[in-house]
Amino acid sequence: MSYIEEDEESGPPLYCERPEWADVTPIPQYEGVSSPIAPIFYTPDYKDATDYFRGIVKTGETSERVLELTEDIIRMNPAHYSAWQYRYRTLLALNAPLDAELRLMDDFAVNNLKTYQVWHHRRLLITHLTVSTPGAKPTADPLDTAQAELEFIVHVLDVDTKNYHTWSYRQWLLAHFDDSALWLGELPYVDELLQADVRNNSAWHHRYFVVFGRGSKAQATPAEEAEVLQREIRYVKGKISFAPNNISAWNYLRGILEYSKTPFSSQAVFAESYTVRRAPWDDEDVVDLDNPKPSTDADLPSVSAMDFLAEAYAREGGDSITKAVDLWKALANQHDTMRKKYWEFRIKESLETKSG
Amino acid sequence: MVASGTRQIRPAPVDGFPTPTSDLQTTTENILKARFEYVKASPNDFTADGPVLHRNAHLQFLLRNLIQGFPARYRSQDASQPWLFFWTLQGFSVLGVGMDESTRKRTIETILALQHPFGGFAGGPGQFPHLLPTYASVCALAIVGHPGENGAWDQIDRKKMYNFFMSLKQSDGSFLVSHHAEVDVRGIYCLLAVATMLDILTPELLTGTPEFIASCQTYEGGFGSASFPDWALSNDGSVKDVSAPRPPLGEAHGGYTFCATASWVLLQPYIQTYYPARSLSAPCIDIHGLLRWVTHMQGSAIELGGFKGRTNKLVDGCYSWWVGGCVVLVEGLLGIEKHSGGKEGREGEDSNEHAWGDVDDSLFNREALQEYVLIAGQHAAGGLIDKPPKPADAYHTLYCLSGLSAAQHRVVPIDERKAELLSAWVDAPSDRTKDEATSRLRKRAFVDMLSWVEEEGTVVYVGGAANRLNATHPLLNLTATHVEAMMAHFYGQKTPMRGAGTSA
Ligand SMILES: [Zn+2]
Repeated sequence: MSYIEEDEESGPPLYCERPEWADVTPIPQYEGVSSPIAPIFYTPDYKDATDYFRGIVKTGETSERVLELTEDIIRMNPAHYSAWQYRYRTLLALNAPLDAELRLMDDFAVNNLKTYQVWHHRRLLITHLTVSTPGAKPTADPLDTAQAELEFIVHVLDVDTKNYHTWSYRQWLLAHFDDSALWLGELPYVDELLQADVRNNSAWHHRYFVVFGRGSKAQATPAEEAEVLQREIRYVKGKISFAPNNISAWNYLRGILEYSKTPFSSQAVFAESYTVRRAPWDDEDVVDLDNPKPSTDADLPSVSAMDFLAEAYAREGGDSITKAVDLWKALANQHDTMRKKYWEFRIKESLETKSG
Repeated sequence: MVASGTRQIRPAPVDGFPTPTSDLQTTTENILKARFEYVKASPNDFTADGPVLHRNAHLQFLLRNLIQGFPARYRSQDASQPWLFFWTLQGFSVLGVGMDESTRKRTIETILALQHPFGGFAGGPGQFPHLLPTYASVCALAIVGHPGENGAWDQIDRKKMYNFFMSLKQSDGSFLVSHHAEVDVRGIYCLLAVATMLDILTPELLTGTPEFIASCQTYEGGFGSASFPDWALSNDGSVKDVSAPRPPLGEAHGGYTFCATASWVLLQPYIQTYYPARSLSAPCIDIHGLLRWVTHMQGSAIELGGFKGRTNKLVDGCYSWWVGGCVVLVEGLLGIEKHSGGKEGREGEDSNEHAWGDVDDSLFNREALQEYVLIAGQHAAGGLIDKPPKPADAYHTLYCLSGLSAAQHRVVPIDERKAELLSAWVDAPSDRTKDEATSRLRKRAFVDMLSWVEEEGTVVYVGGAANRLNATHPLLNLTATHVEAMMAHFYGQKTPMRGAGTSA
């Protein structure tokens, strides 16, 4: 975007040219500072709007026209948090219909994905729309609203599957409304995303959030919990088998074992087949469904598998530490030399623990 | 010395199973590889000593921004003006260039115009106060300000700032970044850094904050943006169930991980002072998981050893600081853990012995990170960048330079320095009016912050000493001179010369 393009003659009139704004005194930004350092060269329309914004803030006016002014500003600069703040206060003061505000924000969100304020504003609106006060029903049905939001976000994530703010907003929605029906729909969605890109770490994080984030709130019996854990272990091992160097999946495996306090060594047999270059079972016909083997195109050994197996050995302690050290040495000197210092630290630390 | 001489350039393995993530990764690897070959063949960029830091071009870039100002596309930074000042001024500091008197004066006047009547600093004049610009403003004033009339330091309204901070506090120990705004760990880092520098830490300010930070750590080891508090709280906002899950919102991310880790370090004086006294069990974070995560963000040789901000994402120059610069903080935490005998009672551990030995060298590849910044991070027209072919900007210029500095210098907590500071400490008159614990808190905060000094004999300059940058404080991203001067002023202390020893 160049200065010229933004300054086209065809734009709407400036606030200083509009009679209906004549009663507002615009305030230039550095009043009383003779020569501010590092100034930004604003376009005339932006300078005009923000001068009027400062004027409005000073008088504390909350009226319909403030909504127009703040919309104008956030369209030009969605990171203008004060304009957002003031807009929200004005909406509340005017008792403005917040569902209309939410629809206004839909396009805005898609075009300004990376702005904090866009998502936070939605969160404020949604909270306000669905809150029940004593003796009064909420303006919008909480479950329907949440469902609609989740569907809206799917479209946004289509544009950018790893958008941080969108994902954290989605997670907030699930936790805030905390309804089993909402949580249930998430797993198929995550699976779809991982089918499309098994390396999408945001999707793996979301899976963890959905499956384990509720913790005791999910009110599962120990047997159900065990079943979920087994299902997840099977799932992630299947995903590892056709992309064995995908660290996102290995991190997920480590995460769920850690969460459930399951020893890493329970998956040592699985990991081991990913740590060797030539697989001796290539000729075997036996298929072990619990421990899927690496795909034929896999680039082995997988650094993540070696890291995992070494961790399993190290935690076993005793004589297994020697086996961990051998793996760390291979990582430090051959397979993952960038992290030489880290692997050497692990060796030193484990030997000291052993001798101590 | 040129570590690249023996590099093993291997593309990231795709396992014969390409996806959008691996396609993007491959494209980026090709760009970086081409860049490496181009730079290596260019005598201006690569001498017998290795890659060249184009110091002068970057100074010109910074100078242009400071004196002439920023082009219209920086409108998006209109609510982050103090950041533009801080990135620029600290860029000069890292490059070893001071400001002339009239520029300092102009800068002070400009920044003071951002102080809000209700306390804290805003992103621009007439905007509302916010934790992020507050940090950037105070840091910028640490660089250009001084005590006394018109020096800005004494014009910072610390009482109002404290009230502003308290007005943002949430019952789960977190803080809003601004009124009606979001909670996230960036804001908390900014608050803790400022409160520590300005000597306004109190136990009431920090109650619950360690628990909040700990709750933001994800299963990957790094930290996300915030956590979900409500399950642990009752309707009136009080904590009703400490065991209720507080799941992190968002995946582990370099920026949040730096902020959370630095916050955790900044909270240590409070944790060490108040938890034992109240017989509270201190919350813990998984330091080993964190170490694994930060070290795994360093890209491979084909990525020139730059850092990523998230698992399976691309390397980017700014993470040289946020993640590369975070490694030393984690090392510091390992040292603290060692001294206090560990947290989760790992097997074979005993508080009387040094279970892990000293962390005697950096746990990331310092040479490789320097290569990334020097080879991939410099723009031909001056200023630094995410990666080619991106344009230079003020943000990447500072964080690439700071990351490069963090890879050149090893700034760590040094016991001798701590002893010197403790020995020179004098209780301020105000301490007599405070309780004993509060006095201990401020003494610890002061001493701990200034104990981070450069370890002698550990500098590494890829491309030779001509590429030398100033060291920067790993917790604040300010030079030691600026941190010491400002903190000595607010804490009413005289900092001893390094090597002065401890008086008997
Ligand atoms: Zn960046």
